[in-house]
Amino acid sequence: MDVRAELTEFLSGATGDRIGPDEDYFAKGLVNSLFALELVTFVERRFGLAVEVEDLDLDHFRTINRLTDFVRMKTAA
Amino acid sequence: MPRPFALRAVAQFLPDNEVAVADLPFTDQEWETCRQLGVERVRADDTLSAVDLAVNAANQALAQAGLDAQDLDALIVVDSRAPQTLLSSEATHVQALLGARRAVTFGVGGQGCVSLAPALRAARAFLADEETAEHVLVVHGSKPATPNRYRHPVTVNGDGGQAVVIGRTGPLRVLDMVQFSNGEYWDLFAVEFRDRPVGEWREECADQQRYSFKLAMETRNRLRELYRDLLARNGMAHGEVHCHLGQNLSEASLRFTAESLDVEMAKACADNLRRYGHLGPNDMLLNLTAAIGGGELGPGQRAVLVGASPVAAWSLLLVENGDSGATEHYL
Repeated sequence: MDVRAELTEFLSGATGDRIGPDEDYFAKGLVNSLFALELVTFVERRFGLAVEVEDLDLDHFRTINRLTDFVRMKTAA
Repeated sequence: MPRPFALRAVAQFLPDNEVAVADLPFTDQEWETCRQLGVERVRADDTLSAVDLAVNAANQALAQAGLDAQDLDALIVVDSRAPQTLLSSEATHVQALLGARRAVTFGVGGQGCVSLAPALRAARAFLADEETAEHVLVVHGSKPATPNRYRHPVTVNGDGGQAVVIGRTGPLRVLDMVQFSNGEYWDLFAVEFRDRPVGEWREECADQQRYSFKLAMETRNRLRELYRDLLARNGMAHGEVHCHLGQNLSEASLRFTAESLDVEMAKACADNLRRYGHLGPNDMLLNLTAAIGGGELGPGQRAVLVGASPVAAWSLLLVENGDSGATEHYL
C-alpha cells in the first residue's frame, strides 16, 4: 500500500488542486471543519486506524509527508 | 440512573424587527464566508437588552403554564454574552422586573451556547433538594456581544429571548443529559473590549486552523462518545432516537453534526437557522419546539439535542415528548 500516493490522490481530488508532498494545505486556507471531517474519515477508513483526541496535533496532518508518517506510525503501533 | 424532570412550558420572544444578513456590515472576505452559512435574516432590535428579551419570554412562559411570577420557587438566568453593566446582577434584575419575589435567583453560564445544560442541571438539582418546590424558570436573553453580529467564520447572531418553566410534571420529559468540557480552548474566540469603543468590538478567532481542524475533530470524537454513553445508559440503540436537533450556527455545522453521529438532523434546525440565525443557548429548545410543531417529533417519541460550543463544551440532552407527563411526578 502506497500511503503517500493514496493521500495525494485523495487530497488532490478533494481540493481540486495538485498538492505537493510538503505543501501546507492548512496554510493555503483549504481546510474547514467539513473538509477536516472528510480527510480524517478517509484516513481512518482507508488505513484502518482510529484518530483519537490525543492524535489531533495539526503537525500530523498539515502536509502529505507528515500525514504519511502519521499513518505509518499508527498502523505500525 | 439520572432522574428525569419536565419542561412545562417553553416560550420564545423574537423581536419584530428583521434585518437581512446581506445588509449587515461585512468585509468582502467575511461576506464570502457569510453568504454560505445558510442564514438569510436575523431578528435585531437595539432598543431591547438581553434582560428585556429574557423578561418578555419569561412572561409568555408563565402565561402558557398558567402561573404568576410569585409562584416561582427558583429563577435561573443563563448569563448574557455582554452585560449592560459590570458588577450589577442581571439575574436579580430579571427577578425584579418579573416580580418573582419568592424565587431563589441566580445566574449560570461559562459554557457559551451550551450553557442551557448547566442551567437545566441546576433546575433539576433545586427541585430534588427542595421537596416543596414546584416551579423553576430558566431564562436567557440572546444578544450578540458585537454590533456587526458576526463570528467569522462561524455564524451570524440574532436577538431572541427564551424561557422554560421546569417542574416535576409536564408534557416534555428531559430523561437524561451528558456533558464534557475542555478548558484548552477557553479563549479561542474572544471579544477584546477594555481598550476600544463598542463600535470596534469584534468576535475574533485566535487561530482558525485550530478551530477548523483540531477543535472540529475533537468535537466529532466527543459527540460520538457522549452519544454512545447517553444511549447506553438509557438502554437505547442507535436507531431508537426519532429526532436529532442541533444548534443553528450554519448549514455546514448541521451537516458536520449529522455526519459525525451518522444521523439526520431535523428540518426544523435549517429552517430556524435561515430565519433567525444563531440564538446562543436558545437554539436547541427553539428547534425542539419547532420540531414538535412541524410533526418531526410525535407523541411518545424521543429526541437528542446536541450542543457544542468553542469554549469548548459539549452537551447532549435526551428528551421525550408526551406520554403520561401530566400526572406523573419525576422528582
